[in-house]
Amino acid sequence: MTWILPEGASLDLEGISSPLRVLRGLGGGTQGQVFEVEVAGERLALKWYLPACIARDPHLKRRLGESIRATAPSEAFLWPLALVTPGPGALPLLRLGEPGFGYLMELRPPGFLGAHEHVGGHLDIGLLQVLRACFFLAEGFHALHLKGLCYKDISLGNLFLEPSSGRILICDNDNVDVDGRDLGSVLGTPGFMAPEILMGIARPGANSDLFSLAVLIFRLLTRHDPLRGRRELEIRCLDEPARRRLYGEDPLFIFDPTNPSNRPDPIEHAAALITWPIYPEPIKRLFEQTFCAGLHAPQRRALTGQWMAALAEALDQRQLCGHCGQETFPAASDPGPLCWSCGCPIPPPTRLRLPHGQVTAAAGNELHPHHFDRLLPLRLDQPLARVEAHPSDGSLLGLRNLSGQAWQAELRAGNRVVVVESGQACNLAPLVRLTTQAGAVELPT
Amino acid sequence: MPFPNVRLANRPLHFIYICDCSGSMAAQGKIQALNQAIRQSLPGMAAVARQNPEARVLVRAVSFADRAAWHLEEPTEVERLQWLDLQAGGITAMGEALELVAAVLRSPPMEERALPPVLVLISDGQPTDDFDAGLASLMRQPWAQKAVRLAIAMGHDADTDVLQQFIGSDPCGGLPSGEIPGASGKTPLHRSGRSPRRPLQASNATSLAQYIQWASTAVVGAASMPASRMAGLGPQANIPLPDLPPTLMDPTDDVGPLVW
Repeated sequence: MTWILPEGASLDLEGISSPLRVLRGLGGGTQGQVFEVEVAGERLALKWYLPACIARDPHLKRRLGESIRATAPSEAFLWPLALVTPGPGALPLLRLGEPGFGYLMELRPPGFLGAHEHVGGHLDIGLLQVLRACFFLAEGFHALHLKGLCYKDISLGNLFLEPSSGRILICDNDNVDVDGRDLGSVLGTPGFMAPEILMGIARPGANSDLFSLAVLIFRLLTRHDPLRGRRELEIRCLDEPARRRLYGEDPLFIFDPTNPSNRPDPIEHAAALITWPIYPEPIKRLFEQTFCAGLHAPQRRALTGQWMAALAEALDQRQLCGHCGQETFPAASDPGPLCWSCGCPIPPPTRLRLPHGQVTAAAGNELHPHHFDRLLPLRLDQPLARVEAHPSDGSLLGLRNLSGQAWQAELRAGNRVVVVESGQACNLAPLVRLTTQAGAVELPT
Repeated sequence: MPFPNVRLANRPLHFIYICDCSGSMAAQGKIQALNQAIRQSLPGMAAVARQNPEARVLVRAVSFADRAAWHLEEPTEVERLQWLDLQAGGITAMGEALELVAAVLRSPPMEERALPPVLVLISDGQPTDDFDAGLASLMRQPWAQKAVRLAIAMGHDADTDVLQQFIGSDPCGGLPSGEIPGASGKTPLHRSGRSPRRPLQASNATSLAQYIQWASTAVVGAASMPASRMAGLGPQANIPLPDLPPTLMDPTDDVGPLVW
């Protein structure tokens, strides 16, 4: 690739106080190119726009400036940090006829991979991490929308995830705009655009973000597309007019409860049929809400907070099948759940009772501050405790104290109380109650 | 536990290079430049293929000189593709090359369902056989009508009328030179003054490499899983074509043209 900015050059740019050194080109597309740079000893990423992109999007510079002043809604966003324009010394070094501009952001940390790697089946990732990634995604857009902003171009290409943790990064934040103001040119990415945007009867905003968010969550959870069922099989060449029919003119959710005419094909669309039964009803209802009534009524689409609640609840009821070991999500109200993977009955689990909700005792499940205080926001990134299997006896489950304070553990036998220091794990089997700084954890008697 | 072992349903995307290997391609390192440009574009094409899980990108190549022949006959996944160098020598059987492509765009052997194919014709001269018959044969195939057809003229001797016929008419043909519909309707989208619906003029090795890179990455991306859509673009075809590669002023490329 020919780079707009010469690798190794030191550039004098307006917008930052120190000179910027171009270390290497990282990649490029139709909008511009991204470089790894060094500014005042710090490694950052610099995106530089092509003239055609600037010409097409006349408010780009203004939006970027406003985003930088507004600061990132959450740590999930690789947010613009500073807008830079070439100073007189830099102009002759640019390999473009026009000066243009760019912006600085953090480098994507190692370990984060494109979400397409998961959808393409190339990642070693578990359901726990995928559900957490979906939660973090909804949480990121929750924070963005609460700032009065909208994203406009949610798609698989703008999301990166860390397979080991489910943490995410949302990139390409240069289309972010004040909701309803519409100082942008982007309409979205086909396959993720809400029907009213694709059909040209509305402009992108927070409500169309909710549609795109639901598509992205669906694709992460099922590795399939919510609108591609039997109707897709009738299409020979999947070109632009065909996509317009499927996604805009006459879209139909593949799992629409009242209209089964676009159900997935058992051979061609097996991924959707295998994965859909895994998820708890509240998650399915949010998809139905968004892809049935919400297809044509944007204000009826599932909200970011609803997604967060349903995904957090699914994680709380996560249970490992005693027969095949697969992750299952049976609801406490389900009288006779069966494993979606091997079909075996799933016995009732031990459930930790908390002031606000219950968490199934299964290795990997976590207790969070919101379980103790319903006024706290739903968060998954600061767990107070984690259920873990004993290192040498996997059948023994313990709860590790991830809080900074010691717990009091009351044992079933003999009214004994032991102290569980921060960092220690205690066996759940002999316990009746744990008293933590945040509140009590009750075990079934 | 691992996520269930399921994959997104995907469709094949057939990408076919149609390469002029006539004797004139032996001059001034043109055939070497073409081989290099294609070889250099493959890693980027593989990366794009991986980013688009709903497509299975399969590459083939036809070469034409005295006769047309498959240079790479088996539709090959780009990750497994090893480019063998084309050799130059002979005349320009371009019509016959289009016949060969027409034969594989019939159903069968084409799959019942696919993404629009991408056909890239690269030539430095004029056809010496019955080009019109070859093109007519190709265009009788519905898959060819649906295909994204691109042409790259290597140097100024290439018959751009013929290449334009291969692409089809330029919807922007009525605009003044250097303008295609932009967001404002006034600003030219491509400062380079070209339209992807006209033959791309590769006057040196750098621009040839850029066009081939563009066809094998941006265009493959657009045909497999389209990129962000912008408002205000003109009428769209089967697949909206992405911006052409920008004209970069590359100080390392000032040794004069390698190819003309």
